[in-house]
Amino acid sequence: MSTAESTVSGKGTLTRSQRRRRNFYFFISPWLIGFILLTIVPLIFGFLISLTNYNGLNLFNLDFMGIKNYARAFQDPMVRFTFSRTLIWTGLNLPIWLILSLFLAILVNQKVHGIGIFRTVFYLPSIIPAVGLVWTWKVLLEKNYGLLNAMISVFRPGTAIGWLTDQAMYGVTAMAVWSGLGAGMIIFLAGMQNIPDELIEAAKIDGASTSRIFWYVILPMLTPVIFFQLILGLISALQMLTIPWLATTDGVIAVPPRGIHLYMIYIYEQIFSTQRFGYGMAILWLLIIIVFFLTYLIFRTQKSWVYSEVEG
Amino acid sequence: MNTVASSRSSAIVKSKAARSRNNFFIYIFLTSVALLLITPILWLLITSLKRNIEYLTYPIVLFPAIPQYTNYAEVFNPIYTYLSHTLNTLFLATMFSTLTVISSSMVGYGFSRYRDVKASHSLFGFVIAMLIIPAIVTIIPTFMIFAKIHLTGKYWPWVLWGLAGSSYHIFLFRQFFLTFPKELEDAAEVDGCTPFQIYWRIFIPNSRAAIATSFILNFIYVWGDWLTPRIYLNVNNTTIGVIIGQIFKNPSGQFLTTLTISGIVIYTLPMILIFFIGQRHILKGVVTSGLAGR
Repeated sequence: MSTAESTVSGKGTLTRSQRRRRNFYFFISPWLIGFILLTIVPLIFGFLISLTNYNGLNLFNLDFMGIKNYARAFQDPMVRFTFSRTLIWTGLNLPIWLILSLFLAILVNQKVHGIGIFRTVFYLPSIIPAVGLVWTWKVLLEKNYGLLNAMISVFRPGTAIGWLTDQAMYGVTAMAVWSGLGAGMIIFLAGMQNIPDELIEAAKIDGASTSRIFWYVILPMLTPVIFFQLILGLISALQMLTIPWLATTDGVIAVPPRGIHLYMIYIYEQIFSTQRFGYGMAILWLLIIIVFFLTYLIFRTQKSWVYSEVEG
Repeated sequence: MNTVASSRSSAIVKSKAARSRNNFFIYIFLTSVALLLITPILWLLITSLKRNIEYLTYPIVLFPAIPQYTNYAEVFNPIYTYLSHTLNTLFLATMFSTLTVISSSMVGYGFSRYRDVKASHSLFGFVIAMLIIPAIVTIIPTFMIFAKIHLTGKYWPWVLWGLAGSSYHIFLFRQFFLTFPKELEDAAEVDGCTPFQIYWRIFIPNSRAAIATSFILNFIYVWGDWLTPRIYLNVNNTTIGVIIGQIFKNPSGQFLTTLTISGIVIYTLPMILIFFIGQRHILKGVVTSGLAGR
């Protein structure tokens, strides 16, 4: 094939590669133009705005503030408070979600008849869109009329825990985890099914117990999947907005309970309810930097715990 | 069968019995986990059939005295604008998904079949990077720009986003097109197909699985998205998700929880139907996204 090509093209090689270059850019042009206009430009625009006192109306009459907005963010007690709530949210959600997803994946990896039905049922909560999810849990967790408090009341009459008010951190965590389990399970399951059967068989023949096989064979082989899940989960937890906000307010501009006042909600309020676009963009950029930094940190730890086939 | 087996070896029978006892416990366990996970959905369905006054009784009543199936009809009462917003959403989701599939498949084709072009590798790096960067980072500043050029309150942003394709779907199509043999392209080229014809006449007709996956996932995304329409659209043309996100009220301003819940059930039902029809495609898409960025 290669000889045929070289005899046919000969001198024309250059023009062929140029032609291929042109065609390549033709095919990717929708993305390239969109990437520049809908991603790069807004990112730069957003950054420039963060250096001004833009409020949505004074675009041609802006005051350049330098890094004043950023400096202010470090003085802002609400930035500190909402960020600490976001860290607690992430620290609570991420491990629970990872462990329960892994647990469900192990369950549906059992080789028994009809396991497909269980996979479907376990995945069902993940199909429900955010708004449906929030309403599902609102009627479940309602302080006076919800099912959960009624069930607790069987043992402790008169229970009226505000799962979506003063205990909102736990109530919203429950719904967010419930909603994410299906996807997490399916991804772990795919990871488990990629583990070669011979490896597990070999361990069995060597007399390893089920729990030893899990800890010393399956879990190490799953670390690349865990690694990805960790990074994606971290990114999405840090920028969580829709679920906690919808669950604890009525969806119009309103302040959520203090406990679940997350950083992203604060950004949203700054921009859309108080029109402090400049300041809002500054604290949004701070979040982006933090997300990048944390992602980088996790990547740095990769070598020490993530199994890689190249090394093995 | 059993007698034959037992006469052969008691060890096998023992392990068989042990296994079936084991399986029994597995089923018990699986069923209890399933029930636990499904309870919120069952409670949603039960609540949707209650009268509002039944929902507001303390201590709670588990089941409605008479199931109020009329709730499901009442949701479509024009005062709640449920149907018109559902149609809006159908239109928006179909339009966006179609555009995204066309553009993403084209771009994915470029990235998979022109890997010999030097810039291809580094540009694809940007596609992958965009998988990781949170969407909200661009949604808000884009809104500021679009508000200035009067593109908000309309469906134009979705047209533009659709035309630009999305990183995840570009990735999906690229991976799919990578599996096509090079000979297919060469043969078509010899037959005098232009590069676009190769993509459109040969690759696309053979990509039903990828197109279905991509279309379904896009559709689900628009249907379930709350934040973007909440920011970009207004009450008249927003999606059903935003409308149903707020509680329904009767003319005197009273909250109608159970009616809203019926609306939620109807809103969620299409997603469940789509899931059962396209389960294979959706789960494949979830796995791809999970292993390579969402």
